[in-house]
Amino acid sequence: MKARDELGTLEATVTDARYYPAGPADLAGSGNYPLNCWYVVASSDEVGRSLLGRQVLGRRLLLFRRRDGQVAVLDDRCPHRAAPLSMGTLDGDQVVCRYHGFTYAADGECVRVPSQRHVPYGAQVRSYPVYERPPFVWVWPGNPARRRGTEPPDLPSLREPGWAVLGGSLEMAVNYMLLHDNALDRTHFPYVHPHRIHRGYVEDPPPLQVEVAETTVSYSRTFTPAPLADWQHEATGLPAGQEYTQRETGTFVSPALHVDEMDIIGPEPERQLFRGVFIRAFTPVDAGRTLIIWRGARNYAQGDESVTERLREVYEGTMTEDQPLLEAIQATTGGKVGYQVSAAADAAAIRAYQIVESLLAEERGRPALRRRPARRD
Amino acid sequence: MSSGEAPNAAMLTVFSERRSDLVITARETRAEGVVSLTLADPGGAQLPGWTPGAHIDLLLDDTVRQYSLCGPPGDQHTWRIAVLLDPDGRGGSKRVHQTLKTGDQVAVRGPRNHFPLHAAPRHIFIAGGIGITPIVPMIEVATEAGSDWRLYYGGRSRASMAFLDELEPYGEQVTIWPDDEKGLLPLDDILADPAEGVLVYCCGPEGLLAAAEQRCAAWPAGALHLERFSAKPQPEPAAGEEAPFEVVCQRSGLTVTVPPGQSIIDALDEQGVSVLSSCLEGVCGTCETQVLEGIPDHRDSLLSEDEREANEYMMVCVSRSKSGRLVLDL
Repeated sequence: MKARDELGTLEATVTDARYYPAGPADLAGSGNYPLNCWYVVASSDEVGRSLLGRQVLGRRLLLFRRRDGQVAVLDDRCPHRAAPLSMGTLDGDQVVCRYHGFTYAADGECVRVPSQRHVPYGAQVRSYPVYERPPFVWVWPGNPARRRGTEPPDLPSLREPGWAVLGGSLEMAVNYMLLHDNALDRTHFPYVHPHRIHRGYVEDPPPLQVEVAETTVSYSRTFTPAPLADWQHEATGLPAGQEYTQRETGTFVSPALHVDEMDIIGPEPERQLFRGVFIRAFTPVDAGRTLIIWRGARNYAQGDESVTERLREVYEGTMTEDQPLLEAIQATTGGKVGYQVSAAADAAAIRAYQIVESLLAEERGRPALRRRPARRD
Repeated sequence: MSSGEAPNAAMLTVFSERRSDLVITARETRAEGVVSLTLADPGGAQLPGWTPGAHIDLLLDDTVRQYSLCGPPGDQHTWRIAVLLDPDGRGGSKRVHQTLKTGDQVAVRGPRNHFPLHAAPRHIFIAGGIGITPIVPMIEVATEAGSDWRLYYGGRSRASMAFLDELEPYGEQVTIWPDDEKGLLPLDDILADPAEGVLVYCCGPEGLLAAAEQRCAAWPAGALHLERFSAKPQPEPAAGEEAPFEVVCQRSGLTVTVPPGQSIIDALDEQGVSVLSSCLEGVCGTCETQVLEGIPDHRDSLLSEDEREANEYMMVCVSRSKSGRLVLDL
């Protein structure tokens, strides 16, 4: 675009950052998640040569692995009499309905109706674009044309050598944006997870650096040296009581994904980097439920099973400590969050709401709320 | 925040845009005076997402230039911008044309989007000259989304108009309108029939935008979307009892005069320094900013009397200055 203006050195230029979304309440409707987005529908090891039914993204999906290893995702409903296809059988790459034997190819096309010679018009099951990047199987629930050329987020710590990975999944009775809000917020840790934090969280919290782009937002902060929390000392094997520099970063990668990185800089002279990456895929089930498929990767103690179990307790424990609060918030508000007050520490979460709001506006064809006329200077 | 403060010291939030160092992987001439640059992460990492209408800042030594992203929006590994050489400009485009080459590293900030495309059954795109850049990804997405769209693309001459080759496959949906062959774009015809469900997107020189605004006066509110190359002339704010004052942004090295009737946050925003805010009423504390020098005129509802007297922090959405000069940690 044509050169416009000399702005000098800038620290920040987010001219629409001020548009507080007319309220997260506006996002709390039945489907407040964008459809033109890749979501994790399952982990790779869940999908094999049998039929798997999964209720996510406001629909019932059928997953199976074809003979060539590719994953197919179809609507889990026979167009004939609505029987869930996941109750049927997999015959080669074809799905046979349990009720009347209607048979569908992996692309959803009906290829056989046992009671007659011809397949009736309209006998077609919707199939979804799928992208498997182990350990995640991603699905695109929106307009298939809009996915052209796009890929799900790349997560190097899950595919490169030198990392040990653990993981699991759980479902919470909360809207997925409540989970993003929670994941972007560090100030609840001293209250909800007091035994999991180091001194720096409470005594000397460094400035929170919030960094935005059009569709992503991240926070990061670097602590002045402090002793490790108990679990950090146990997992890394670094001595308790010693002070270490720590840095943490959290990123809203897309409506479907939040990634945290937690770094401990080891002692001189090696200054080894102990990095933990906590990856959470948030897949809305409906307006009030979310499937969390998570992974924790670390670049240290790769072969040590006791460290894996220690970290499993940390990751699962952190989420289950949040769960009753978040579910109570969901129950209290009926999903219409409508926060009255935000604090400065909510900057990243506010931005995430704004991003989702504008993605929804783009998709649904109404202008984003309270957006100023386009202007550049 | 220095160490040794009392426990539970306030946590400061510093807001900035994503900045990345990218490498130029291709440089191509697109038309007379127009080059495109393809940018990628040096390590091949994925770039953050964007939607049509987005732009990035190109950080060139001491100046910042804004360019629309004009490559395929689905491409998560490269970004493309196109730069028109402006011989009368202040040098940014000359620098791009004369010094940047394939393999060079450039710092960019963003992307951000003030010109977002919204889904509609029908779109009318109007581009003037290099204003075609945000429109290129828009028509790709509009096509995928099933919109019945038309593009009217004016320019000095055919040879000066970029991306004609990429527009060709769209056939009759695109009308190419070079001035030297056909004169100015016939906006009276293009915008003759206001209709519900039609969104108009226009990008180009001020004359074209002003004309489009005028022609769209009869259109439903919100139908016209514009992107300007430069600030529209604004009427002077009415002088009130407030006195103007100067705000120095210490970290940015920028000095801004805040006139009566304008808030600090708006004055900073106009100069490209944005402070995260939400309520704009001095109640939420999101825009709390550290004061390094000067005496604020506190008008928020948050700070206690002691905090006001300490003059260490202020809410720049509503508060002003008692001193002629305020130095802020921005």
